[in-house]
Amino acid sequence: MMIAAPASVAEIQDAHSQASGAATPLLRVQDLTIAFPAAVGREAEVVSSISYEIGAGEALGVVGESGCGKTMTSLALMGLLPPAAQVDGAIWFDGRDLTKLSARAWRSHRGRDAAMVFQEPMTAMNPVMRVGDQIAEVLVRHEGMSKRDGFSRAVQLLASVHIPSPERRAQDYPHQLSGGMRQRAMIAMALACRPKLLVADEPTTALDVTVQAQILDLMLELQEQHGTAIQFISHNLAVVSEIAHRIMVMYSGRIVEYASVGDLFANPLHPYTQGLIKTLPEMGQPGSDLYTIPGTIGGKRPPGCRFSNRCPLADAGCRQAEPALREVAPRHYVACHKVN
Amino acid sequence: MLRYTLTRIGQAVLVLLVMTVLLFLLINLMPGDPVDNMLEGNPSLTAASAAQIRELYGAGVPLPVRYWNWITAAVQGDFGYSSIYFRPVAEVLGPALGQTLKLMVATLVLSVPLALLLGSLASLRPGGLMDNLISFFAFASISLPNFWLSLILIIVFAVQLGWLPASGTPLETNPPIWLEVRHLVLPVLVLTMFFVGPLVRYVRASMIETLSSDFVRTARSKGLSEPQIIIRHALRNALIPMVTVLALGFGGLFSGSLVVETIFGVLGMGKMIFDAIRYVDFNLALIGLLLATLVTLISNLLADLAYAWLDPRISLK
Repeated sequence: MMIAAPASVAEIQDAHSQASGAATPLLRVQDLTIAFPAAVGREAEVVSSISYEIGAGEALGVVGESGCGKTMTSLALMGLLPPAAQVDGAIWFDGRDLTKLSARAWRSHRGRDAAMVFQEPMTAMNPVMRVGDQIAEVLVRHEGMSKRDGFSRAVQLLASVHIPSPERRAQDYPHQLSGGMRQRAMIAMALACRPKLLVADEPTTALDVTVQAQILDLMLELQEQHGTAIQFISHNLAVVSEIAHRIMVMYSGRIVEYASVGDLFANPLHPYTQGLIKTLPEMGQPGSDLYTIPGTIGGKRPPGCRFSNRCPLADAGCRQAEPALREVAPRHYVACHKVN
Repeated sequence: MLRYTLTRIGQAVLVLLVMTVLLFLLINLMPGDPVDNMLEGNPSLTAASAAQIRELYGAGVPLPVRYWNWITAAVQGDFGYSSIYFRPVAEVLGPALGQTLKLMVATLVLSVPLALLLGSLASLRPGGLMDNLISFFAFASISLPNFWLSLILIIVFAVQLGWLPASGTPLETNPPIWLEVRHLVLPVLVLTMFFVGPLVRYVRASMIETLSSDFVRTARSKGLSEPQIIIRHALRNALIPMVTVLALGFGGLFSGSLVVETIFGVLGMGKMIFDAIRYVDFNLALIGLLLATLVTLISNLLADLAYAWLDPRISLK
């Protein structure tokens, strides 16, 4: 069971590990809980006491269905949660707890220490501002560049994400770019100040499959070049496995399984993870029906294990107590009563 | 862009031409005969001279011919003679147009920035105290009758406090500018109050929508400050739909400030058109109404050009 550590203990531990020179992960999320004032028919707690880490230069994939809390988790890292959200727990980033930041400190964190790429490249850019100006804006904000210098740097950045004729594209407005190009420009914008962490929320979901592959290639390439850590969110396990070193499977606001990509695919332990892997269509097997996990994530959470109402293995015990996230093999965590 | 503008100007001329026909027909359908009106006021007129006047005004000539005579003279700048002011229409129109433009420009200069400011402030926290106060002001502005507000302002500022004159035009001929401004304060205040309420509501709605859009979230994720996000990213996008609202309000303000003009004794377009119709002054009513049409057409054209200027996604071809 992950026991909620008081912030003071966590701070002592953190200071200790820094003093002893042990590698502190770039990001350590501890017992993060995100809740909203309860609305009728909706769960108030969208993320319940989750803990995970991302090392410098590491790519973490976060997988789960819509509503599992993966977007809220990523917004929390950027301080972009809706104002009504109540956040508990700690988000240690580079030695400080982000949940304690002032509004001013958040602004210098965003765009410089951590940057975000969003799902919809069509709407994520300001329609009435030139692409180059939108990229330059980050540089003007964080690097103190002049507008002109920022713009010429923006052209270089567009070139680095393989946008053809970047000088002309920088002068264009977002609507003049294709979806894939816009997402490239968004990535260029996000990486403009060389952030330590890139949060990518379903960055390929709105794109064609071929463009999707190109964007994934680009992100892998840039990650190798700059050593940027990535939190990559997707509902698509196959896409995540392309880019991530480790994968965190979320269900209904909880982490249900957390392991390296290899371990997760070779030995999926949680029935939900097993279900997710089964839903992947297999090549070369025409005519076989696509697998679906019965039921949906919405509605009232069942007592005990949150997956118990959809789980093929669930018994009375599962409906009584919520399973804790346990380390069942080295760095392979799972939250299920049925796993020994 | 140039070609688009020229086409639109061509269309505007066409619409104006159609309007001349319609207005001419409508004015001629009005009850009351202008010559009868003139005779009524002058009992010493003999039947013979009455017939002479009728002939002079072309009373017996068929309508299409009269229209043709009128339009050919009008395009040459001869708008005829006003029967209530006993002066050429152009001479009557000039000062009225000037008065209305003064009122309009002052009202717009005051109400547009005020609406942008209040609407944006209200949109920052919908349902908050600031929003409630501003919405209350906006609804008061929409609901308060013009004439009532005018009278209250006159009672308070002109009668009791004596700070400002009660009339909209100075009595002196060629008054100094500061005196004219003093006289304009109250009517402009009332018109602004009348104009600003709906604008505030539109700006607020438009800003709330824009502030929840994805690109504003992107701007936030860059670490920009709230004023930068609001002014650089949200406001310009929120302004685009405002252009239409402004263009429509423009036409309304031009000929629709009758009540304010009447109460404050400003001889502007609203009052002039109203008087011309009431006292069957054909020539004056026709040109006044056409001018109102023209202003609406021009403000719509300007709105379309402003759209293309504000929104790069719109290209005018």
